[in-house]
Amino acid sequence: MEIWRLPISASQRGKLISSGYTSLSSLSSISSSDLARELKVSESEAMNILKVASHSRGSETSNASCSIVEGAQSAWDMLHDEESLMHITTSSADLDNILGGGIHCKEVTEIGWSSLSLIVNSVLKYKLTTAFSSESIIFMLIGGVPGIGKTQLGIQIAVNVQIPNDFGGLGGKAIYIDTEGSFMVERAFQIAEACIEDMSEYNRFLRKDFQECKIKMLPQDILENIFYFRICSYTEQIALINYLDKFLSEHKDVKVIVVDSVTFHFRQDFDDMALRTRVLSGMALKLMNLAKRFSLAVVLLNQVTTKHTEASFQLALALGDSWSHTCTNRIVLYWNGNERYAYIDKSPSLRSASAAYSVTARGIRNSSSSCKRIKMM
Amino acid sequence: MARLANLETEYPVLDSTVRNFCASHGIFSVEDFLIHDLYMLAAFAEQNDSSERLKEGIAQVLSIIDDMHQPWLNGMELLEDAKRNKHVFPTGIQGIDLLLGDGIHVGQLTELVGPSSSGKTQVCLRTASNVARNHMVLYLDTGNSFSPQRIAYFLGKTISPSSAQAKNQFLQKVMSNISCHSVFDIFAMFDVLHQLESYLRCQDGRGGCQMRLLIVDSISSLISPVLGSSSTLGRALMTSAGYLLKKLAHQHNLAVLIINHTVGGEGGSSKPALGDSWKCIPHSRLFLSCDRGSNTYNVSILRHPSMASGKAARFVI
Repeated sequence: MEIWRLPISASQRGKLISSGYTSLSSLSSISSSDLARELKVSESEAMNILKVASHSRGSETSNASCSIVEGAQSAWDMLHDEESLMHITTSSADLDNILGGGIHCKEVTEIGWSSLSLIVNSVLKYKLTTAFSSESIIFMLIGGVPGIGKTQLGIQIAVNVQIPNDFGGLGGKAIYIDTEGSFMVERAFQIAEACIEDMSEYNRFLRKDFQECKIKMLPQDILENIFYFRICSYTEQIALINYLDKFLSEHKDVKVIVVDSVTFHFRQDFDDMALRTRVLSGMALKLMNLAKRFSLAVVLLNQVTTKHTEASFQLALALGDSWSHTCTNRIVLYWNGNERYAYIDKSPSLRSASAAYSVTARGIRNSSSSCKRIKMM
Repeated sequence: MARLANLETEYPVLDSTVRNFCASHGIFSVEDFLIHDLYMLAAFAEQNDSSERLKEGIAQVLSIIDDMHQPWLNGMELLEDAKRNKHVFPTGIQGIDLLLGDGIHVGQLTELVGPSSSGKTQVCLRTASNVARNHMVLYLDTGNSFSPQRIAYFLGKTISPSSAQAKNQFLQKVMSNISCHSVFDIFAMFDVLHQLESYLRCQDGRGGCQMRLLIVDSISSLISPVLGSSSTLGRALMTSAGYLLKKLAHQHNLAVLIINHTVGGEGGSSKPALGDSWKCIPHSRLFLSCDRGSNTYNVSILRHPSMASGKAARFVI
């Protein structure tokens, strides 16, 4: 019964089946007015159904000899595509190192928090990972306790994506979706100023012998290129993700979406857990789709919750196992003594490693402690 | 199954008298015909004026139905088919190959279940790089987790050191055999599988490099958004996806590898997602888990047609 495969509403499907149309071929030779009459629906609805059916059928006949399915790419082509993609730096060299250059486009990354007990005490020798050094993270989930620096990292990324191409950045704009209200414009201004100062310093250092070319960017320009959305409920969040499709086709130079935090509205007042799982998986798929189609990086910030397993309490990222499964990469932020550390928990191509970073007045920077080695797990 | 009205062009016996008679009994399509009581229908046809025409019409529809089912096969033919076509592909990971006997079977649906970050995608990438040496592979990716660098790394490990150019050529040859497609909702996946079916039908005729492995990473992300609501559409889509994959595996001699995740069960233990209806669809199920902070993974058999369940092994990636 091939009608199952069509993305039409349940009532339309029921009407089609009860009138005897159970396969796509039976819809091939009928006109929309006849169909409207038989199903007792409006003509526009009937035309819609026929359009969907012929689209499904059309994909059957257009069987290109070069690719097995439309839109498939061979792994060899993808390897070369990835090598030419660019990174968004996090402004901390250690963090960039373990991320393989920085945050990358086309994936979703989650950053979270973890208790120290999950980190194994054995520290392996630091090895150069040449096999993985050319890869980068794209879809990220970042999670942590309040105060660990998630929002700071989010703002830093939104600023760093705008570093122009001449300085090794992407020169793109950012979308910042704020659900908690933790975005401080003054802080963003401060970080933007520090970023421009660093760029002119780098400029001076490198082009010593040439005329000093001034950086024409002002902090106001950087702030202007961050599109900020404030969300107050989960329905608004879903509506916004659906709207982003249209927004991104109009603003093609957006290169990163930061969602802070993705779980806030799903934790309280949600009685129906099954609905929550469905909505979250649907949202994750839509974000993946956006990331792939528009070649952008998606960074999600998450919170932590306590899990009670085997009479002990453990801190885990909020929203459960299904959500952990949906994100491509996961970074966990944690305290180790007095220092902040980031640990790669899940990645298809990067080795698990942790690095220290610190939050300064100028934004996220390398940790200034004496122990600066990257710990490989 | 076609409507009777559409069949008139091919089979002029089914003209309007026959159709009106059938319509009076609520039969609009060949499928309705199957559900109806044929003796009753024949009895009514007798009493009708144009009984000859009606009987011809009924006989014609019955002969159409006879052409629709799969041919009967006896045991010897099945054995022949198994020996000739249903090979076993090693995954390239020693622990898993030892556990499963030789590897994953062609013609069967193998499912990898495990909590987050337990090595499922890595096993799929390793298997893809192994099978791609001689056959074509299709990787359906729902989470942008396909990593060509990882495949290049796995292939680089197995090749003996030779000139950079020879290595490059080898990589190109093998990696061009892997096609990766991103799907982000279940209807898109059905479209892709339908296109794949027509491709495989053409492929069975010609020789050369044939497609032998299909990987879906992960099917649970596609099904979770539709499963569990008040309508039964989600479960119907899930079971029809499972049957379509099994049909592709058996008819076109593919090995199908799918990935599922886990959810919390009773007492804090984790159980595979997608519920009990999905439990019996894959032929074999493997449960993967990872020792925190190290490179070793555990795999145990939940279900397998020829190995005892409960056996476990460890492997390193």
